[in-house]
Amino acid sequence: MNRKCIAMLLAGGQGSRLYALTKDVAKPSVPFGGKYRIIYFPLSNCANSGIDVVGMLTQYKPLQLNSYIGSGQAYDLDSSDGGVFILPPYQSAGEKGSWFSGTANAIYQNIAFIENYDPENVLILSGDHIYKMDYSDMLREHVQNGAACTIAVKQVSMEEATRFGILSCGEDGFINEFEEKPKHPKSDLASMGIYIFNWKKLREYLVADENDPNSSKDFGKNIIPNMLAAGEKMWPYRFDGYWRDVGTIVSLWDANMDMLGNTLMDLFDASWPIRSKSPIRPPHYAGPDSKINHSIVTEGCEVYGEVSNSVLSSSVTVGRGAQVFYSILMPGATVEDGAVVRYSIIGENTKVRAGARVGTDPDGSADWNVATCGPNIEIGAGAVIKAGAMIYDSVAAGEGSDA
Amino acid sequence: MVNLHGLILADRSSRDLRELVMVRTSSSLPFAGRYRLIDFSLSNLQNAGVRDVGVVMQRNFSSLLDHIGSGKEWDMSRKRGGLKLLPPFTGSGEYEGIIDALENVRGYIEDIKQDYVALMRGNLAASIDLGDVMYQHVRSGADVTAVCTPGTPEGEHHRFIVGEDGFAKDILLRRTGPGEGVASLQVYIMSKDTLLGIVDRCDNALNHKFHRDGLGGLLSAGGKIKIYMHNDYFANIMSVDGYYKASMDMLEREKRSQLFPADRPVRTKGRSDVSTYYGDQAVNRNSLVADGCIIEGTLENCVIFRGVHVGAGAVLKNCIIMQDTYVSDGVELNYVISDKDAFISKDVTLSGSPKLPLVLPKGSKI
Repeated sequence: MNRKCIAMLLAGGQGSRLYALTKDVAKPSVPFGGKYRIIYFPLSNCANSGIDVVGMLTQYKPLQLNSYIGSGQAYDLDSSDGGVFILPPYQSAGEKGSWFSGTANAIYQNIAFIENYDPENVLILSGDHIYKMDYSDMLREHVQNGAACTIAVKQVSMEEATRFGILSCGEDGFINEFEEKPKHPKSDLASMGIYIFNWKKLREYLVADENDPNSSKDFGKNIIPNMLAAGEKMWPYRFDGYWRDVGTIVSLWDANMDMLGNTLMDLFDASWPIRSKSPIRPPHYAGPDSKINHSIVTEGCEVYGEVSNSVLSSSVTVGRGAQVFYSILMPGATVEDGAVVRYSIIGENTKVRAGARVGTDPDGSADWNVATCGPNIEIGAGAVIKAGAMIYDSVAAGEGSDA
Repeated sequence: MVNLHGLILADRSSRDLRELVMVRTSSSLPFAGRYRLIDFSLSNLQNAGVRDVGVVMQRNFSSLLDHIGSGKEWDMSRKRGGLKLLPPFTGSGEYEGIIDALENVRGYIEDIKQDYVALMRGNLAASIDLGDVMYQHVRSGADVTAVCTPGTPEGEHHRFIVGEDGFAKDILLRRTGPGEGVASLQVYIMSKDTLLGIVDRCDNALNHKFHRDGLGGLLSAGGKIKIYMHNDYFANIMSVDGYYKASMDMLEREKRSQLFPADRPVRTKGRSDVSTYYGDQAVNRNSLVADGCIIEGTLENCVIFRGVHVGAGAVLKNCIIMQDTYVSDGVELNYVISDKDAFISKDVTLSGSPKLPLVLPKGSKI
């Protein structure tokens, strides 16, 4: 059956710059904004855009990710002749099989999957961005302009431009130059890492690139520059909505804080729901002496202490007299009685024991940063975790305290 | 597969639920911030591994149909068997009681593939380990196992006098308030043949009562009814007053944890709501709040369902606010039960009393 467009979602990223938060899970599985995981955003965008086949390429610690996806039903992506398909690296007959060596190689290894659907176009997505985008609108522009490739772009500041792939356009509006992380950017149009390719064209370039021993098999480094060099028609799709890369601790913390106001991204918008698969827990409960302001709180939480400017995912407990300020508490995290958590990210199911202190307010010094405690650990009673600390393993009671 | 079939009676609603059952049957009454009463029966069955379930319905069942759907939330959407909704045949009139309802679905019962049937009412809120009830039932060799409580159910109920061997000696019909013996929660496990036997025994207008003629008749004919004690929290919701009390019970940690034990989750229809947002001036004292709400005002001793908006300066005390109700800025509510989709305009003040909470019907504009 011929399809206009299917999506391939690159979800194999380790997310090494999230350090302790990705010690047990892949980056796309990292919890976000109370109810979500990063991957729910592109998946919901697909469902809302009418894309009903999504191939999800996994590689690093995929187990949790697989369980969140299931049949895709939670994202309304289960259908009789489509759905979400998890595509791990595999071995074909007579070959040794190998890990995905780059983003382009990951797609190359799954050419057979794509051909099953005989699509006219393929949408390439990554699993580390928070945004709401109508891919069907992007596809319309792609088709109208007869482009071989359309790249979603967003205007950034010139300072930021050095961190992105930067595009320049000619008078006809088509892209005529692409530079990966330029020192002196010529434009402020950044690639969002979202591409729609004409499948026949992409297939040619994937096969050619695979045979190039010097290629790093990457879309940004190889496929896009090669297509440009060959004079293919490449169209920029301009996006001016909310879009954040959450690949670092600070950007993850920032983007979570953005969710406290619905001006940047309206998660309540019923016309573009971000679907989630979360355990069904009773509503959250706030005790008689609790104080909660400018925060989001999710079902299953029990709040007896004080919470301000924070994001509480499902089933978080904040004990009596505990304080949680400017922090992100991932699912199942516990802050026991009298503990204080400031400017911190607390991983899934991690317990901050009574009287422990994690993180401090910004003090203006250059080395201050958000404190991070990885998932499934314990911060012992009375222990003190400094600002900017990156905690992978449990910390004994009283450790780090001056007393 | 578990050798047990679920049969949920969602046919009748108590009249004392008044406005709350104008647009629904009591089995689909919203409860505890995000559930419908039938979720407890369905989840009890699901947690015991039961996948084949019939739901007997009679009137006002469109909200129940909408809520249950294919049953996929409870893993009951199956290729073979699964969840079956059993609406009345046309012309069968109102079911007079359990026997009437069972006679109407007799064909369905005869086709049940499992040897045992768990029969229950769809409006009971309780977390019951039906797997254990089933195990005890088979081990005891009883004809029927009745799940009972040492507590006192709301309104008229039936009681059993229990012998030292744990079997019922007598059945006391239509009691109110505390009394001798233990009270039936109207959750029964029995073999399919026993169930059909009871229906057969009650074959005419003079002996048409499930408890009096069915179970009572079984006892006097030498049949054995085993009593299984459910000592945890339960609420059989029969009136607005009872609904209000049970809702407020959910603000107590102990009762909440008994109704929602971690190892037997209660599932319901998902909506993919966002987390609830609390504004700068929000206050929440002793309240239960579901996802998808925006809270800018003050809550005290409230149960707030999904998607509710509480405006700035609004003060809600001792209230139950059902899903998607919009409470404007400056509103003051005390002892109010607002049904779904109500809209309460700016600065309105409404007050009921602890004995008589004020009910705003579904979709009210105040």
